[in-house]
This record gives sequence, structure tokens and C-alpha cells, in this order.
Amino acid sequence: MRQHLLTLTILFPLVGAAVLAATGRILSDRDARILALITTLATFAVSLLVLRAFDTGAAGYQQVDSVWWVRSFGLQYLVGVDGISLWLVLLTTFLFPVSILASWKVESNVVRYMIAMLVLETAVVGSFVALDLLLFFVFFEAILVPMYLIIGGWGSANRVYAAIKFFLFTMAGSAFLLVGILFLYARSGQPGPPSFDIRQLTQVAAALPVQTARWLFLAFFVAFAVKVPLFPLHTWLPDAHTEAPTAGSVLLAGVLLKVGTYGLLRFNLSLFPQASIHFATFVSILAVIGIIYGAVCALIQTDVKRLVAYSSVSHLGFVVLGIFAFTQQAVTGGVLQMVNHGLATGALFLLVGMVYERTHTRELAEMGGLAGVMPWLLGAFLFVVFASAGLPGLSSFIGEFLVIVGTFAVSHVFGSLSATAVVLSAIYLLWSYQRVAYGPVREEHRHLPDLSGREVAVLAPVLALLLVFGVYPKLLTRSIDPATCAAIEQVRTSQPCADVGGPLVPAAAEVRQP
Amino acid sequence: MIPTPVLEFRPILPEILLCAFAIVGMLYEAFARRPDPAPHLAIATVGIVAAAVTAYSLWDWSGSPYVLGDTVAVDRFSVVARFLLLGAALVGCLYYTHYASRDPASFRGEFYPLTLFATAGMTLITAANDLVVIFLALELLSLSLYVLTGITGQRRASEAAMKYFLLGAFSSAFFLYGIAMAYGATTSTKIVGVAGPGIVQALAGQTGSQALALLAMALLIVGFAFKVSAAPFHMWTPDVYQGAPTPVVAFMGAATKVAAFFALIRVFDVGLQPLTWDWTPVIYALAVVSIVVGSVLAIAQRDVKRMLAYSSIAHAGFILTGLTAANSTGIRAAMFYLVAYAIVTLGAFGVVMLVSARGEEQTSLDAYAGLARRSPGLAALMTVFLLSLAGIPPTAGFIAKVTVFSAAIGAGNWPLAVVGVVASVVAAYFYLRVIVYMYMREPAEGIESDDGVMPRVAAGVLAAGIVVLGVFPGILTGILEPASIVRW
Amino acid sequence: MVSQPDGALWLIPALPLATAVVNLFWGRRLGRWAGWLASASVALSFVVSLALVSQLVAKPADDRLFLQHLFDWISVGRFVVGMDLRLDSVSATMILVITGIGALIHVYAIGYMAGDPRYGRFFSYMNLFVFFMLMLVLGANYLVLYLGWEGVGLCSYLLIGFWSDVPANAEAAKKAFITTRIGDTLMLVGLALIVFRFGTLDFEAVFGTAGSVLTKDAATAIALLLFAGAIGKSAQVPLHVWLPDAMAGPTPVSALIHAATMVTAGVYLVVRSHVLFELSGLALTVVLVVGVVTAVFAATCAVAQQDIKRVLAYSTISQLGFMFMAAGMRAYGVAMFFLVAHAFYKALLFLGAGSVIHGMHDEQDLRQMGGLRRLMPITFATFLIGALAQAGIPPLVGFFAKDAVLEVAQHTGREVTYVLGSIAAFLSAFYLGRMLFLTFFGEGRSDRARQAHESPPVLWVPLAILAFGVATAGWLNLTPEGRVTGFLEQVTGAAPVGNGLEAAALAATATVISIVALALTWWIYGSGRVDWIGFRERLEPLPRAALNGWYVDRAYDIAVIQPAKTGAWITAYVIDDRIIDGAVNAVGGGLKLLAEGGRRVQTGFVRSYALAVFLGAVAILVYVGVRS
Repeated sequence: MRQHLLTLTILFPLVGAAVLAATGRILSDRDARILALITTLATFAVSLLVLRAFDTGAAGYQQVDSVWWVRSFGLQYLVGVDGISLWLVLLTTFLFPVSILASWKVESNVVRYMIAMLVLETAVVGSFVALDLLLFFVFFEAILVPMYLIIGGWGSANRVYAAIKFFLFTMAGSAFLLVGILFLYARSGQPGPPSFDIRQLTQVAAALPVQTARWLFLAFFVAFAVKVPLFPLHTWLPDAHTEAPTAGSVLLAGVLLKVGTYGLLRFNLSLFPQASIHFATFVSILAVIGIIYGAVCALIQTDVKRLVAYSSVSHLGFVVLGIFAFTQQAVTGGVLQMVNHGLATGALFLLVGMVYERTHTRELAEMGGLAGVMPWLLGAFLFVVFASAGLPGLSSFIGEFLVIVGTFAVSHVFGSLSATAVVLSAIYLLWSYQRVAYGPVREEHRHLPDLSGREVAVLAPVLALLLVFGVYPKLLTRSIDPATCAAIEQVRTSQPCADVGGPLVPAAAEVRQP
Repeated sequence: MIPTPVLEFRPILPEILLCAFAIVGMLYEAFARRPDPAPHLAIATVGIVAAAVTAYSLWDWSGSPYVLGDTVAVDRFSVVARFLLLGAALVGCLYYTHYASRDPASFRGEFYPLTLFATAGMTLITAANDLVVIFLALELLSLSLYVLTGITGQRRASEAAMKYFLLGAFSSAFFLYGIAMAYGATTSTKIVGVAGPGIVQALAGQTGSQALALLAMALLIVGFAFKVSAAPFHMWTPDVYQGAPTPVVAFMGAATKVAAFFALIRVFDVGLQPLTWDWTPVIYALAVVSIVVGSVLAIAQRDVKRMLAYSSIAHAGFILTGLTAANSTGIRAAMFYLVAYAIVTLGAFGVVMLVSARGEEQTSLDAYAGLARRSPGLAALMTVFLLSLAGIPPTAGFIAKVTVFSAAIGAGNWPLAVVGVVASVVAAYFYLRVIVYMYMREPAEGIESDDGVMPRVAAGVLAAGIVVLGVFPGILTGILEPASIVRW
Repeated sequence: MVSQPDGALWLIPALPLATAVVNLFWGRRLGRWAGWLASASVALSFVVSLALVSQLVAKPADDRLFLQHLFDWISVGRFVVGMDLRLDSVSATMILVITGIGALIHVYAIGYMAGDPRYGRFFSYMNLFVFFMLMLVLGANYLVLYLGWEGVGLCSYLLIGFWSDVPANAEAAKKAFITTRIGDTLMLVGLALIVFRFGTLDFEAVFGTAGSVLTKDAATAIALLLFAGAIGKSAQVPLHVWLPDAMAGPTPVSALIHAATMVTAGVYLVVRSHVLFELSGLALTVVLVVGVVTAVFAATCAVAQQDIKRVLAYSTISQLGFMFMAAGMRAYGVAMFFLVAHAFYKALLFLGAGSVIHGMHDEQDLRQMGGLRRLMPITFATFLIGALAQAGIPPLVGFFAKDAVLEVAQHTGREVTYVLGSIAAFLSAFYLGRMLFLTFFGEGRSDRARQAHESPPVLWVPLAILAFGVATAGWLNLTPEGRVTGFLEQVTGAAPVGNGLEAAALAATATVISIVALALTWWIYGSGRVDWIGFRERLEPLPRAALNGWYVDRAYDIAVIQPAKTGAWITAYVIDDRIIDGAVNAVGGGLKLLAEGGRRVQTGFVRSYALAVFLGAVAILVYVGVRS
């Protein structure tokens, strides 16, 4: 039973989707919503069991569940978690019921919408736990269709363009990933049976000539860089976010982007450690550009969803920067940042959605004075604004701080540059908040209702976590640490991960200046 | 004094049965006062099923692998092919029966016998071990298809038939020359000789002229490339696909590729095996051109049938990609791809037929606007087929792509794989566009809809097959495993 | 002997936090009680502070230290940051000021904010501020300090913009937060540098090993980065621009946050980190220079302000300059003493001003006031004490503080500093006198002034208490070695001693300067013999420039803000939309064109098709030819 928990987590939503599809004709919209909510909650419950069964402090993969899928092809259904994927899975299973609850107002084709959501959950969870590269790729690709339908089917004005852009961008990236995977697979044949098992392919990749490994690194990198998204491959994100329905944006920012950063950490680092070091500076530069560039673009946006989208570009830059600093603080910080950004930006989109449902506008210029009208909603908004502006005591700060500190240890320049985002984020967040909340209120907004019970139920858990993880991040780091440590030691084979980076080895020999 | 060969007819019983029932059908057509679809369908179905049964009996064939004077091979390879082709024929007949029922005036009873003849030719070509027999089978199936293309007698159909015929004849000529050269090079038309040395033995033994052999290879490639509509021999495809009645396209699109490719595999992977290093580059080139041409040109198409025609060109390229690996992995990959492709093609054109409610009028993209609103089921089916064509999991199309690419990469042809994956991104665009129309557009005015049950059921079964094969490809690979070893 | 006296340390910040939460969610229901609850919790934590400090003092001078480890906040690899509290002489002094004066201001606010619709919310924020401020000073490592540091910034933001329906207030709030955040960011980099060098942020470890770990340059880098944070928080030149605007907040806020406590955090930071500053040396000079410049600059602005609160704002900036001056001269004890003294009289002045504003129905313009001493006697009396204190009239506390600073300057041979300091002192006496005479003397210059009324006890009782403090606190440090400074020496080390003019002489000069300044203001504004309005006009444009803070804001707008906006616009709408995204769409467009071109080839004529077949065949044949 215990080793099948992950499989259950993957299957639950799928079963729910199947049930919905089968009974779709007879279900009322309300039933469909409730059924979907129950399914996602159950899934969350199962994932909590995964957490309970998880052996904190152990480095390797746990609760591994495997069965031959296509034996002749060396293709396995092989899943497992370590400290990194564990929290991403939980983040996913946590955000889905929230999103379902947030989509209560979706009126058209509810059944189809909920099916798409549930299929999406399966795909995302699957890609976080898959240990068989092709299986991962299957889930990775499977994410596209439901998300595409959600954006294109329930989005706003320009949704079709955004949906196709999202689909093609990601698929274009993953095209090279597929070639890369198959290349490794082809090499894994001799000697012994070919396989997609990441643990076996790690050995295969280690044996590759340096140049080949670098090309493969790039093949994988492109796929994930698009997903993150990393500058300059980010332009699909603002469109997708702006056009997607609220839940779509929440999940896109909350979990889908993490698949990219997760992929970098899990596959690029462990499969191509040497290449990772070789490209570290290059990637870090992109990340830093993204951090600043995204923030600068956010400064000037007038559409609040676009603004948050660009802020995501900036925040995820931190994650990538952290991962490619290869110091334990930075990498752990990056993983924390994944979770925290998921919560904070997810919450932002939830709130933006709630404001939108009332005012029917995303234009900052057309809002204002709402704080007086809806004190609680805007209060929550402010809380989240400061959370994602990295206020100490709230979750995002820990991640950013660790990344800055950890990066600083290997490169003062990158560390310092990334810190500028602390100011920039404060500027664009407070500026937009001011235009939403303060000043004179428009006549037609004077009687908007404040948070409803459902909306409180949606927000409360997210906000609570933002605070808890900010005050006691050890909840996460306890289990993340060993995993990141292992990841680093794969790269910096020379020394134990705790010794990598500045503070703990005073000799600043490690400092890497671009 | 020529030794009379032992006549063992069981291996070609399927073909014999098909022809027999075809004749029965013709007689019925000739003598019935007012011929009716139902009996025709019945006759054809019985014939197909009978053929299938006999074909199945060959799965565990213990007799000599080459019969009738080494002209026909008996192996699981051809059995798999036969099943696929017979299935396609059956679906085609079902479609046509519905198609004709929409306006009885256009009904032509000849459809069924012709389909059976075509099928006979196709099944025979996959089993033939003698270039001459291959040519005969090729002509049999081609001629039947030419007529089928123009069967409705409508202007565009007839035009398409004419083009198809002229170009087909043209390419057959190349093929025939190829046979001649092969004979010249090896003094045999047998692919694998048992009594005397066949082509492969001759080539392996370096007896005979190398130049002639290469010449033969080149010309045979042209002949096959035309049939599988690989660029630049593809030009007929869009016009014929668009012009021919949809049920015919469904059958032709699926079956012709299967038959031609199986024959191609036997001729090249077995017969010209010693020349592997000479023909793989050609296949490689054809693959690249087909993939690019098919994927790019499809973007500009607004007629779904035409768009699928171009996609079929691209898919020919993908199958060739698998064949650049001249080994059982490549063959298996190609076979898997063919199975997936045949199913999808039949399904997709089934939906096209239903959407184009009457005749061939509603085949443009606009006819698909808001299809999800008008008939959700149909839209869902189409989505499955399109995703499979685009190679998105969890459909058979995805596994198929993976297998051919990994075969190619395994053979060191990773650049080809790169071309392939990039092209499939481009292709995804026009497949998605159909989905956009179905799900994200408002229904256009004055679109009739056709709620034929039989084709729906058929398409539904096919879609299910696509998904099942996508999730449990093991089922199929288990069968292909033994079938992909072509003995010699 | 209480067992584990430091065990109660967490109570001090916890109390205000608890009431903050209560008021946040149930403030509306508590109604009027919200204010009392808030005040009570702060008062209580003042009592706890007193108890602990007295126990601290009871211990031998060399181990006056309470540490409390609450839990591991961050722990990654070997990098561990605890949620640790630390009570030593410096933090002890700070918490007494924060909770003591804080409590009084809370009580005052009960009256001042009465009838505000968001009364509960206000006290929630005030309590939250006290909590963060206490964390700031009690933190035993730089990260907890930073937690408080940012937290007080947050509360400052919330409270400046408390009446956010007025756009200007929201604007001021944002300006305050962002301006300080600039400093904070540099400070954050400083922390990163500390981690890089020491592997920890713990005060004990850092200061203990600094000498061996840090090179002079490293120390300078760290110290300056930290000081950048201080410049922002303590509104020193050039990041001072936010504080005058911050007066948009309710007056109790100005008193608590923008006079008594938060703005002094910078001074606390420098004193706390003086080890690093001393290792650098250069950093100390910077501190000194910034301090002197700010003290003089801000004083000149204060002289010309028309808004009673803006006068106090600039005077606060100037006074903070004095504190940095002291710190810059290694006289950390003096800086702290000045901090305490200033907390008292500046809080008193702000609350007095608030009482005036309240009495005049929200009128803040000095030109509209006048003659209030009869109508608001208590306010006048207390305000007078505060003003004289800052003006430096003995025996009020302000005198001792300022005198100490100037004395150090003179004794350590920093003549320039001494002179500039004296000028600043003169100016401060001048603008205080001006404010005093314009507000309370002469005749009321508006109906509001003539109809003003004394404030209720809830407002003036705190004033009285503070006034008493101001009047008496001076004795605290009177003894030659100085009690407060002496108490602080455990952390700050002894103030530098040098030999210059006799202390008494210096004190005399300082007093004379102040008296002269006051006399002058009396002549101009009080005597009625001078047409001070005409006088002002004759001096134009100087007064207007000073009124606008010498146009620093406008300069920033032209030199920084506008260019930045343009840059952002270009990045977002040209580079991103046109170039990067344009490239992406171009690819798509290109393919479409290609496809259209391909369609041309598909003519529909059999001959062209046959040609294609033929050409294809030829191509293959050529290949074969080459091959064989």
C-alpha cells in the first residue's frame, strides 16, 4: 500500500475525470463542481499520506513504485519522490482544490472544464514524480492539452492566440528534450537492456564525451527554459496569464512553471553535471537578466495580470539563479522559492480574479479606492503583495534571501544584481496595489461586496501557509536539504555540499566572476 | 523441361477469397433488378471476414516459407499487413454504405467489388516475394483505386481519378524499369530465392553488375515513393484526397500506405539488404523532404481533406525516418507507425465524412466551427485523432513517433530526428487549428449535421484503439515483435 | 533571584503582537476598548521590560546579557539563523524607550483617533509596529534585526497611508516604503557579505571574530552597506526625502514612528555594529560626514516650513544627524543618550503639535495660528518645555545631549564638526523659537486660532508625563562619567576622551548660542516690531527653496524617476513586445509565407506533377551515378 501512495495520487484525479466524462450528461453543473472538488481534496489527502510516509532526512528517492510499461522497449512506469519533488507534489495537490473552488463561477461547459482540470492535475503530479525519463516526457507533454483547452476555452478576449502560443512554445522546447531523451536511451542499450530509468541513464550520461553531454544539456535546457520561463523565451507567459481564466493563471504560475525549474534541477544537474558547471555562468546571466528584466517590464504594465506575469519571470529567475549556484543555501533557497512563489503568486492571481469578477476590468487605471469598499479583500491583497515583495516573516523572503546569500558565495556580482529585485518588486507591487486600493473610488464600484464565505475558504489556507512557511521554513528545509545536498554533490563531486560556497570555506577561491 | 512447382495455394487463400467475393458482388450488381447497398455490404463483409480467418490460419505456418515457386512469402509480417488492410477495407465499406445512403442516387454498387479487388492487390503485395508479382499486385490495386476515386462521377472526382491514373501509370513505368534492371543485375526477380539464387543472394554474392543493381534500387524507390506519397513524388496526393469521395480516401489513405510500405520494407530491407549503405541515404533524403514539405504546406490549407493529405505526406516522411534504421528495430517502428496511422486516418476521414454532411461540400475548416457545441461526441473523436496525428500522449501517435525517432537515433541519424520533432511542432499548429475551430468558435450558420450511427460507432472504436495503443503499446509491440523479423 | 529571568524575554514583543492580532480581526467589535487594550499591552510589556532590565542591571557589569533562543528560523546546511533575542545594555535602553514612550503615545492616540471609522485597525497597526520595533532591537542576529527592520517599514507604510482615501497620503506611504527599501536592499547585500565572510549572522560570533576575519576593505564594504540601510531608515541625506511627506500620517504615528523610535533604528544599527565600523575607520568618517551634512541641511529646511508638523519632521532629520555625528566620532554612548533624550522631547513636541492641531480642528499651518497660549495653557506649557529642551536650554535633557556631542567634537579636535554642529544647534533653536512664537504668542491669525480649545485629559496627561521626563531625564547623565553612557559602555565601549576647552566653557557657549537664537526669534516673530511676512518676502526665493527642501525631490524626479519610467516603457513595449515577441511571431509569419509559396507550386496541372516526379527521379539517379 505504502509504495502505491504516489500512484494513487496520480490516479485519483484521472478517475474523477473519467467519472465526470461518463456521467457528464446527467450531472448538473453544481454536481460537477462538487465532484471535482471532492476528487481534488481526496487527492490532497493521499498526498498528505505521502508526506507522512516520507522519511525526512533521507536523500534518495522514496516510495518508489514501478511496473513494466513496455518491456520490449525498456519503458517503465517508475515513480518516486525525494525532498524536492515531495513539496512540489504537495503544492500541486494543495493548489488544485483551491483552484477548483476558485472556479465556482465558471458557468459554461462546467463538466468539460472540470475534466480538463483533473486531467491537468494528473499530468502535473505525474511529471513531478516520474523517474523514468520517457514517462516524465509523457506527463510533461500531457500537461499541454488540458491547459491549452482551459486557456483557449474559458479564457478572455484574445484567448486563442494565447493558447496556441502557449502550446507551440512549450512543444517547441520539448521537441529537443525528446531527441535528447531518445539519444540517451539509444546509448543506454550497450551493454545491457536499454532503459529510460533516470538512475541508469545517469550512469550512461556520465560516460558521454564532453561535447555530446553539452549538446544534450542544451537540448534539455531549452525545454525547461521555455517552461520556467527564462529570458528570452518568456514571451508566451504574459499572454497566457492575461488570457487564462483565474484558475488557469493560478495553476500556470503556481505549478506549471515549476515543472521547468524542477526539470532543470532534477534532469540537467543530475544527468549532465559537468555541462551544468560549464554553462552555469551563461545560465546565471540569463537568470539575472530575467530577474531584472521581468521586474522592469512589470513596473510599467497597466494590466494587472500582465504585471503579475512579468513578476513571475522575475521571481523564477531567482529559482534558476539559485539552482545554478550549486551552493546548498542557493539551491535549497531555489526550491523554497518554487513553493513560495507558487503560493504567493497563486494567491495574487486568486485575488486579481476576485477583483475582476466584481469590477470586470483588469486595467489598473479603471480601479482605485477599493480598499474602502472591500477592506477584507484588499487587506488579503496587501498581505499577499508584501508576501511576494519578500517581506521577512512571510515565505518568499526566505527563498530569496537564501538564493542571494548562496549565490553571493560564488559570485558577488550575480548576488548583488539579483538583490535589486527586492527594490523593484516593492515598487511595482506597491504601485499597482495603490492604484487598486487607494485614492477615490469609482461610482460603479461603490457597492461591491466584500469576500464571500467561499472566497475566504479559498484564500485562508494559502495565506496561512505564506505566514507559516515564512516563520518556520524548517518544515520544508528539513526534508529539502538532503535532496539538494545530493543534487549538489552530483555536480561538485570534489567536496561535500556543505563546503560548497563562501561562508563555510573562508577562502573565497570559489568566487566565480563573469 | 521446367520443373513444375508444388502448388500450395493456402498462403494466397485470402486473396483468392477476396477476388471470389468481388466477382460475386459484380454478379449481384449485374443481375439484381435494383441493386441495394445491404447485400453488397453483406457480401463484402463475408469476403473480408473469410479472408481474415484464412489469413489468421497462416500465423503459425509451419510449411515452407516461400511457396508457389518462391513467388509468395508466408510469414507473420504479411499476416499483420493483411489484418490491417482487411480492417481498412471493412471500415471503408461501412463508410461508403452510409455515404451512399445520404443520397441514394449517387450509389454505385461497383464500390464493393472494386474495394475487394484493391484489397486483394494490397494484401498480395505485402506477401509477394517476386518483383513481378509485386508489380501485378500493384497494378491490381492501382487500377481499382483509380476507378474508386472517380466512382461518384462528379467533376472533381473524375478529374482526380484522371490525374491519379496518369501519374500512377507514369510511376509504374519507373517501377517496371526497376524490375528489369534488377533482373539484369541479378538474373532473378525473386527477392529471396530458394530454388535458385534470388536478388538478395545474388547481391550478397557480388555476382552481377553493381551499377545495374543501384539503378534498379533507384527506380524501385521512385515507384514506391509515389505510392506512399513521399515528396517530391507526392503531388497527386492533395488533389486526389480532396477530389475522391471521403470513404474512398479513408480506405485508400490508410491501406495504400500500409501495403506500399510493407512491400517497400520487404524489397529493401530483405531484397536490397546488401545495398543498405546505398539506399538508406536516399530514404533519409526522402524522409527530410517529405516531412518538411508535408508539414509546412499543410499550414496554408483551409480544406480539411487537403490538410490531411499534406499531413499524410509528412507521415510518410516519419515512417521513412524509422526505415533509415535498416534493422528489425526500424521495421518494427515503421510497422507500429503504420498501424497507428492507418487507424487514425480511417477515423479522421470518418469524422470528415460525417461533418461534410452531404456530398463533399462541407470539408472546409469553417464547417468545423463550434462542432463541439453541435455534436460534442464527434468533436471529441476528432480531437483524439488530431492529437494522435500530432503525436501528443497518451495516443498511439505519440508512441509511434517515439519508436521511429528512437530507431533513427539508434542508427545514428539524430539530425533527421531533430528535423522530425521540429516539423511536428509546425504540424501541431494546423492540427490545433482544427481543435480551435471545434471548441473555441461559434457554430457557423446553415451547417447541416449528419448523425449516422454506424460510422460514429466505427470511429469510436478506432479512437478507443488509438488511446488503448497509446497507453498500452505493449499489446501491439508484443505482436509486432515476431512479425518484424523478415526471414531470408 | 528569579529563575531563568531571560525566559520572559519573548513576552516583551509577544504582548503587542497578540493585541495586534486581536484588534485586526475583532477591533470593530471591541469599539472604544480596542485603544485601551492596545495601550495596556504596550504598558504591560513596558513593565516586563523594566523588570528584566532591573535584573540586568543587578548583574555584574561584565555579564549583563540575557539571551533567548526561541527556535531555528532558517537552517540550511551549516548556515543556521535562530529566532534569538538578546538583551544587553543597548537593547535594554531601546526597549524601555519603545515600550515606555510607546505606551504614552498609545494612550494619547485613544483620544486623538476617537471616532475614526477604522479605530481598531489603527491600534492593530500601532501594536504591530511596536512588536516589529522590539524585534528589531532585541534580535540577537542581523536577520532578526532585518525582520524587525522591514516590519517597521511595513507598519510605517500602513500608518502613513492610514487615511488612504486621500491620494497624497497613499503616495507618501509608498514613497516612504520604497525610499527606505533602497537602503534596505544595500543592507541586505551587506548581510550577504557578512554571511559570505563569517558564515553566520549572529552578533556574538560576528563581532567576536571580526578582527581576525575581516580585512580593512571588507569591513568598510560591510559597514557602508549596513550604513546605507541606516541612511534610509533614519532619513539621512540623500535618502531623507520621505520623512517630511510621512507627516501625512496621523500625529501619534509621527510621534511614535517618525520621531521617537523607527527613525532612530539607523543609529541603533550603527551603534550595534560599531565593531565593524571601527575596523573600517573610513566608514566612521562617512557616518560623521553624513551626520553633519544632514544636521545642517535639514535645519535650514526646518527654518522655512509653514506646516507645524513639517517643521518637526525636518528638525527630526537634523537631530538624527546629531546622533550620527556622535556615532561617527566613536561616541556611541553619547549617540544612544541623544537618542533617548530626543525620543522624549520630540515625542513631546509631536504630541503637543497634535494637541494644537486637534484644538484647531486639523489646522496645521503656522500662519493660521497664534495666541494659543491662553486657550491651550497645558499644551503650551508642555510644548514650551519640549521646545526649550531641544533648543538646548539647561537643565533640560536636550541640553546635555547636544552638549555632549559638541564636547566630543571639540575634544577630539574636530573643529569643523564642532562649528557646523553649533550652527545646526543655533538653527534648531531658531526654528523652534519661530514655531513657538508663531503658534502660541501674539494674536490668533485665524478664526480657528481664536476658537481653539484645550484638549481633553487623555491627550494632555501623556504630554504632562513626557514633559516631566524631559525636565528631569537630564540628571540621568549628569555625573561626569555619565550614568546612561556608563551603563552603555558594556557594549559601546568608553567614549573617546581628548583634551580641549573646559567642558563648562563649551556648555556655556552652547547655551549662549541657543539663547541668542531664541531672542532673535522673539524679536522677529514675538515682539511684533518686525513684519516677519514682509521680511520673508524680501528674502525670496531663499525661503521658497528652503520650504521645498532645496528642491531635492524635484531633482530626483528629473534625474531618476522620469528616466527610469521611460526606460521601463521602452523595455516593456519596444524590446519585449516588438523585438523579442516580434521575432517569435516573425517565425510563424515566415512559415505561413513559405506555405503560401508552396501552394503556388501545387498548380493542379498533371504535367507539372509529372515534372516533379521526373525531377525527383533524376535527382536519385544522379545520386546513384555519383555513388557507383
